[in-house]
Amino acid sequence: MTLAAIAGVGMTKFGKQAERTIEDLGREALVRAMKDAGIARDGIAEVFCGSSYGGPLIGQRILRDLGMTGIPITNVENACSSGAAALREACWAVKAGRADAVAVLGVEKLTRLGGGTLPLEPTDVEVNLGNVMPAVYAMRARRYMHETGATARHLAMVAVKAREYGARNPNAQFRNRITVDDVMASRMVADPLTLYMCCPTGDGAAAAIVTSERRARELGARPVRVEASVLQSGLYKTGFRDMASSELTERTSRLAYEAAGIGPRDVSLAEVHDAFASAELMYYEALGLCRKGEGAAMIERGDSGPGGRQPVNPSGGLACRGHPVGATGVAQIVEAVWQLRGEAVERQVPGARVALTHCTGGGISGLDHGACAVHVLAS
Amino acid sequence: MNGSTTYFPASRPWTEEGSAVRLHGSKCAHCGVAAFPPHPSCPDCGAENGQDTVRLSPVGTLYTFCEIHIAPKGFATPYAVGYVDLPEGVRLFGQIEGRAADLRLGQQVAVMLGLVRADGSGGAVVSYKFRGLP
Repeated sequence: MTLAAIAGVGMTKFGKQAERTIEDLGREALVRAMKDAGIARDGIAEVFCGSSYGGPLIGQRILRDLGMTGIPITNVENACSSGAAALREACWAVKAGRADAVAVLGVEKLTRLGGGTLPLEPTDVEVNLGNVMPAVYAMRARRYMHETGATARHLAMVAVKAREYGARNPNAQFRNRITVDDVMASRMVADPLTLYMCCPTGDGAAAAIVTSERRARELGARPVRVEASVLQSGLYKTGFRDMASSELTERTSRLAYEAAGIGPRDVSLAEVHDAFASAELMYYEALGLCRKGEGAAMIERGDSGPGGRQPVNPSGGLACRGHPVGATGVAQIVEAVWQLRGEAVERQVPGARVALTHCTGGGISGLDHGACAVHVLAS
Repeated sequence: MNGSTTYFPASRPWTEEGSAVRLHGSKCAHCGVAAFPPHPSCPDCGAENGQDTVRLSPVGTLYTFCEIHIAPKGFATPYAVGYVDLPEGVRLFGQIEGRAADLRLGQQVAVMLGLVRADGSGGAVVSYKFRGLP
């Protein structure tokens, strides 16, 4: 079922940009998206702004200097899925007929937090005992490797593939190619995850203009249709759960495939939440891009890389394009739209017709993740 | 360490029986689901009462683990952490004594009390953690 159209997209370069303000990053992305859509500022009826660490009224702070105040502005916080959750609100606002053109923003400036691992909520029991995001993924990785036979070198191959794509993306935080040996030799963060298997911290913003199909045609844009927009939260379990697979991603993507009336084989390209290399292998399986236990075989065969059967993260993904937390979900949409319009130049997936984007995250005790969002876009 | 020792959780939901440490969890009288730290209502069936205190086993099974090399202020790196499954059906996260290289999945581990981090004023924070059993 078509929910809405995406009439235009834009983003800043991702990376460490300590000299710029978060408001400045947000404005750049939004202005680019509005120009891309050919829409004037008074054509935007409503704004949703996703950010996890942006602070109070982040949307208003960005829009104030563009003279775009007075309209409904809603700020959305959902950890790594903040931007994707904001997009969902925009899609349903259009579908419900409440607005015919809505701007979605994802913004984050992580350099202002200092270095190291992301700060987590101090009331959380695991955080008090020393859990950090890399450890959450490292512990899942060890269990996944134990159960599937995947090795640390398979995780390294994911990082190498990400850099191969990132080298072709001018907006990516990292543009250099690396080898499996480079990845294995980079410093240990939380074993088995080395530094190059972990996404970097950085700054950036991305924006999309979501409209009705009719409004998109009026604007003369080459619209991309949103065929599914699904958000789910993790299930709280005090007991045992399988940490070698992602129930949350399986559930969310199943609902998205059903809503779009497609299956994993119809996906031309996927932008997935590869916060850590091990997670990408687990998500190949959870999204149905390969069979259970075959994530390592998929990266080994090159299926998910350039020229492969089912490219994953042609933008470079979180590992390489970068992961300014709240901006990521919208940046995935920007990449998907460029791919579906055939504008991705060096990293273009030939004949791309259907793109899936997947955001999941949020470290919270007892849950797989806080929130997971899956979108399906079609040209 | 300077300053005083504090405990996490502050309610110190545990008893020491010789060298064995038994954590105090909750168990729902309606559906039987156990939890730690103890919950005021059942996180599974939603029952708002009947959360009985249960003394959890002092030994569990190591489900997975890792060694952390980059951590927030107050934690001394490297340190091992893991998820431990107790026979009552509760999975606990905690630090594990010693180096990760000495651990293996499925290993038996014992609950213990010990230093987990320094607080903002340099005081010791003591909580439950684990040590590997041979």
